Amino acid sequence: MKRMLLLWIIGWLLSLPAVQATDVPKARRGVFALTNARIVTVTQGVIERGTLIIREDRIVAIGTDVEIPPDAEVIDCTGLEIYPGFIDSGTQLGLIEIGSLPETRDYRELGDLTPQVDALTAVNPNSVLIPVNRVNGITTVITEPEGGLLPGKASLINLFGYTPEQMHVGGVRLMVLDFPSKGRRGRWDRRKPEDIEKAFRKAMDKLNEVWDRAERYARIDSAYRANPEKNPKPLYVPEMQALLPVIRGEMPLMIKVDLAPDILEAIQWVKKRGLKRVIFSGVAEGWRVADKIAEAGIPCLVGPVLSLPTRESDRYDKAYANAGLLHAAGVKIAIRTGEAENVRNLPYHAGFAATYGLGREAALRAVTINPAEIFGVDDLIGSLEVGKKANLFVTDGDPFEPKTRVRYVFIDGYMIPMDNRQLRLYQEFLHRQPGLELHPATH
Amino acid sequence: MLRVYLLACCLLLGLTTGAHAQRKGDLFIRNGTVLTVTNGTLKNTDILIRNGKIAAIGQNLKVPEGVEVIDATGMYVMPGIIDAHSHIAISNVNEATNPVTAEVSVGDVLNPYDIRIYRALAGGVTVSHVMHGSANVIGGQNETIKHRYGETDPDALRMEGAPRTIKFALGENPTRVHGRGHNVPPLSRMGVEFIIRDAFHKAQRYMEAWERYEQERKRNPRAVPPAYNERLEVLADILRGNILIHAHSYRADEILMLLRVLKDFGIQRVVFQHANEAFKVAPELAAFGAMASVFADWWAYKFEVYYSTAYNAAILTRNGVITSINSDSPELNRHLYHEAAKTLKYGGLTEDEALALITINPARQLGIEDRVGSIEVGKDADLAIFSAHPLSIYTVCKKTIVDGIVRFDADRDPDDMRLRVDPERPVELAIRWGDRQHGHRCLEGIDLIEFLTETLQSEWQ
Amino acid sequence: MRLRCFAFTGFLLLVALPLDLSAQQPPGQQAPNRNDIPTITRTYAITNARIVVAPGQEIPRGTVVLRNGVIEAVGLDVPVPSDAWVLEGDSLVVYAGFIDGLSHVGVPAPRRQGNQNEQRRRVRNPGDPPPERAGLTPERDVRTLLKADDASIEKLRRVGFTMAHVVPRGRMLPGQGALIFLRGQTPAEMVYQGEVSLFAQLEPAQGVYPATDMAVLARFRQLYREAARRRQHATLYASDPRGLEPPPYDPVHAAFFPVLEKRLPVFFYTEDALDIHRVLALQQQLDFPLRLAGLAGSFDVLEKLKQANIPLFLTLDLPEAPKDTSKLGKLPDDSLAARHNTYLHVSSYRDVPAEIENLKARQAKERIKYYKTAARLHEAGLRFGFSTRGADPDKILGNLRTMIQYGLPEEAALAALTIDAARLLGIDRAAGTVEAGKLANLVVTTGPLFDEKTRIRYVFVAGELFKIKEQARRSRTREAATTPARAEGTWSCTVDSPDGAIDTTLRIEGQSGTLSSSVMPEELPLEDLTMEGAQLTFSVMTNAYGRVEARLTLSGEAAEGTIDVPGVGALPIRCTRTSGPER
Repeated sequence: MKRMLLLWIIGWLLSLPAVQATDVPKARRGVFALTNARIVTVTQGVIERGTLIIREDRIVAIGTDVEIPPDAEVIDCTGLEIYPGFIDSGTQLGLIEIGSLPETRDYRELGDLTPQVDALTAVNPNSVLIPVNRVNGITTVITEPEGGLLPGKASLINLFGYTPEQMHVGGVRLMVLDFPSKGRRGRWDRRKPEDIEKAFRKAMDKLNEVWDRAERYARIDSAYRANPEKNPKPLYVPEMQALLPVIRGEMPLMIKVDLAPDILEAIQWVKKRGLKRVIFSGVAEGWRVADKIAEAGIPCLVGPVLSLPTRESDRYDKAYANAGLLHAAGVKIAIRTGEAENVRNLPYHAGFAATYGLGREAALRAVTINPAEIFGVDDLIGSLEVGKKANLFVTDGDPFEPKTRVRYVFIDGYMIPMDNRQLRLYQEFLHRQPGLELHPATH
Repeated sequence: MLRVYLLACCLLLGLTTGAHAQRKGDLFIRNGTVLTVTNGTLKNTDILIRNGKIAAIGQNLKVPEGVEVIDATGMYVMPGIIDAHSHIAISNVNEATNPVTAEVSVGDVLNPYDIRIYRALAGGVTVSHVMHGSANVIGGQNETIKHRYGETDPDALRMEGAPRTIKFALGENPTRVHGRGHNVPPLSRMGVEFIIRDAFHKAQRYMEAWERYEQERKRNPRAVPPAYNERLEVLADILRGNILIHAHSYRADEILMLLRVLKDFGIQRVVFQHANEAFKVAPELAAFGAMASVFADWWAYKFEVYYSTAYNAAILTRNGVITSINSDSPELNRHLYHEAAKTLKYGGLTEDEALALITINPARQLGIEDRVGSIEVGKDADLAIFSAHPLSIYTVCKKTIVDGIVRFDADRDPDDMRLRVDPERPVELAIRWGDRQHGHRCLEGIDLIEFLTETLQSEWQ
Repeated sequence: MRLRCFAFTGFLLLVALPLDLSAQQPPGQQAPNRNDIPTITRTYAITNARIVVAPGQEIPRGTVVLRNGVIEAVGLDVPVPSDAWVLEGDSLVVYAGFIDGLSHVGVPAPRRQGNQNEQRRRVRNPGDPPPERAGLTPERDVRTLLKADDASIEKLRRVGFTMAHVVPRGRMLPGQGALIFLRGQTPAEMVYQGEVSLFAQLEPAQGVYPATDMAVLARFRQLYREAARRRQHATLYASDPRGLEPPPYDPVHAAFFPVLEKRLPVFFYTEDALDIHRVLALQQQLDFPLRLAGLAGSFDVLEKLKQANIPLFLTLDLPEAPKDTSKLGKLPDDSLAARHNTYLHVSSYRDVPAEIENLKARQAKERIKYYKTAARLHEAGLRFGFSTRGADPDKILGNLRTMIQYGLPEEAALAALTIDAARLLGIDRAAGTVEAGKLANLVVTTGPLFDEKTRIRYVFVAGELFKIKEQARRSRTREAATTPARAEGTWSCTVDSPDGAIDTTLRIEGQSGTLSSSVMPEELPLEDLTMEGAQLTFSVMTNAYGRVEARLTLSGEAAEGTIDVPGVGALPIRCTRTSGPER
């Protein structure tokens, strides 16, 4: 009983600050000096006991003998480490709130061909999921639509902002193509191999027909633009209009492809269509044809890493090892979780890849500078460099280790409150009040 | 008479099962860092295994002649991981046709050929609590198995002597499958409570009827026995305390509901599975002596897990609730050590507390803690050897040992570890898993009904 | 009531009468077809033939005389009766007719009536469906389901089978089996012996209890134990009804009474090793007389089968290699299997070609296990017959040759087809060898039975002669293929889901149609309905899974294919037409 009372008192004491704090924690910008930190720049080595200065949205200084501006808020990072914000190269964050409730799922539109729809439109900046995930150091993600052949456009977003536009990074949009597959779709897919092959051929025919028309449409459109008086205006075909930037090489095509035979087909198709800006996503069996991917020079967004092998006969760790095997063959890789509510596990996907052959250094690049380069925003994010956006986080250790805690997160220069619903539930319920005793008002 | 006959049958069965000799091995593990879980960490320590049991733990032990030595220098030895919630190694998961199906048992449909047993071993898991799915309020009986991969007799998987357990399921799944899918109660959490009470009341009446018959039979040789009911037999065994309840549950209110019902029927032991909101009623759980088996961080895949927190395991642990972390997934069960490690971050558990979540605590929840779950002399030699501390991301499971036999060896095993191969299926086809493939198996078996009814929107549990 | 019973018995007698008369008047003479040439005698003599009396026991040159459906004489110097139709047996070999240990030969797949089907699907409570819906019809007698002109009879007879233990089609407990002759103008003429088995299989019901194997096992336990109790009740009541409530009548439980009395064995069909383990465990729990058929994969269960010591009937189906046009695919299984490297590591893309080769080799190795199963059962000292269920009759002799090639002695193969099957079915006094007094069931071949070049020339079933001609089957199938298939009508379909089958109904009229199911609130319209040759494709839009596509291949009144559910997989679907455009 005495112990109970003690617990109760401790609980009460612990809850005091929460009771008194009436301000809602908000993100804020300003001038921040992160001092005495181990700064892992990714592109320019590691700086021990260095200082990093953030002014508004940018990193303005990094080094060991950096002068601290007088208006700076100094954050002593002794014993702490700074990393560029992690980038998850494939998620549905913002497009989905509760998996089983269709009203809260916005990643899929009706129809096979909806290249005109745009994931960014449906990103909910106020999703409860976002703060839960970003406090683990993930500052930026690709959020992507799915379903059908051409489900729409994916976007690169920061995990902070009050409008989709505020979240959008570098205007990056990717056209998603879910490439036809010669494989099985799950344990219960019992189609005959001939039927699978037939379905694949049918889907390929459709894809080729779409592309033939899109190319033709682009020529009609170009002719019209060159000489609107002489040449007729192209018909209104929203699907084809949406594909114009892809045909013209202005927008990358992100091809979701996993199995070895599909990857080979996709490489051939890309070659045949003369597409220059192509990215593969998923690439579960990339290791089987890693040489071919390297030869084609197509970068790969690999993952989920924490995943089952694609074949029962495969070694148990093939999904973990895939990223490393691709890297070893000379393929440029970034890592994706394919998650929504648990994008926060990106460091662990990278960590498993690191452990199973990729190595720590390459794994770190695969969640920072590599995706930034692949998406063409390496001038903005992906490393700690003067002039880049202040997307970064501060830890008390190796960010891949589960025991490591993230102390601070900056997104676009905003210092993000390390707060979310999961944490608040912890604070409220660790020592619940009332505990076991019945509430006096009801008894 | 019938009951005597049944008893005789059971005894006979017990004998024949017991007669199924398990392979047990001798081994010597030299110079490892031994994470005993119950007795701290022992450096540079040897473990001697004789006949499948841990025979000695200590420094510089003598190697008995003829015993194979594993050099664990620089490595970590931990107790075999125990997954308290799994659906591997069985042919069926859900008998989703009735709200109460206590009479069915996944133990009847064990599948020792399942490659997922091997893949679990590759993550250091030696014991799985293989469960019926969550479609029914009172689902089927579960089976505690040891991962003796390589044996093809289903009986070889059974963990002999492990207590019987049964699956209950509260909340969205049973109301979705039966209420909304079949237009049969329960449609609500109110109905779920009634279904359980109703089942227990009927079981009580059934027991009474048989007791009356047994009495009457002594006086009257022409007494007619009451109707035999396999389902009520099992429910009666729950009331008698012979079967442990493992209840799929999420919300705090439904957890309290079941506690009240169990109290009313004098049932003392219960483990709440998933229990994403168990943290909200941790004091009540602790007071009852109920336990919880939870996910490290799964949430938001359905409405009843929207108000979850990854700090669940930590809050429960700090409130004195015996807690484990489970997988419910053939993907997740391969890295339960990693799932447990997340509690170092979410709530700051100690390393021993984190390891307990996947070893001794699930053992307690399954009633097998005197056999497995820690490294102690006399316990089963179920061990996992890791290249680095198992809670580090940089660790690799190197060997997994069950009853003193190495069932997984990262360095020696070939890639293809299947025990049987479909002789007619072409070999080139692979499975494209895609994203968010967790492979939640709890609702397996009703996916197609879902598709047909269209009222069921997801395959998440 | 009593009178009506009597009348019924009288009727039965009348029906049975022609059978008795047939002793004098062969059934052939009553041929329904007027254009058939009448049979002139039921006495036959095969002269100067090599006679394999029983496995390992031969008469190099002898005569067999058959009269009135029975072997009258066998031997070297048997005189040829004057009324005998003589078959010159020079260069021919006479074997005992083969006996099929378990199949559905002569039992056509039931075609349901449309509205009856509708009624069946409406189950108020899927947890407690009517017994028939649950697959519980153990009281059904296969004799009432036989169809004398079913094509399966001729197909099986052509490869030497003369008798079969046939069982009803269905799910968990389809009914009771009978021994039949593979001949006869009426079902009654076919029957040799009824009530020989209670047929059971681990075959769940569709969307209702028991929908899984585990529930089938639980249901079986429940039925068996409750049947024991009811029998106890019935026995008490029969001895003295005073003061006791009369026992309820229920055909499902009552069907177990002869099993409980160990008078009727349960024939379980098993598809693989797991099925065998499960059925053996069930038998240990309940202790009923058990026979096992199927037994594919039994190479993994030999020890348990030895302990169980029960009659076995091995499937005559063997796995076939998947189509593989690569060089590797042309290698015979033996040399392919020899290439298998058990310890192959596939460490990068460089090893992938070696991996594919290795996987094929492993698969060939696995096939060989199936080929060797018969030999291994034999070596283990287990006596077995064969079951033709699921086997293509035209492949049976080839499969037997494969089993022999993989170690089954020819004599053992012959024994399993004849005398061992007879013993295990309890009819070895009447069948299984070429001995005087036994049933005139014979197979007459052009040479040693298991030679590839050997052809079956004659088959005698209960003294009735069937001349076996080489078939011109190809042209017939081509004919079928060129007739354009029509999709119109109502189709009763079964979708195989991960845990159980689900009934659905397809209705197609012209260019539109609907899909419905008992577990679905409303009918879904079919979209993109196309018919190309025998290929029917369509899709339906579902809320839960988006677009679901189906592809079916039609052949006559049956269709099969896959239904493709995104996120779940492509599930097999099988349909039969319950009402067509013309009917």
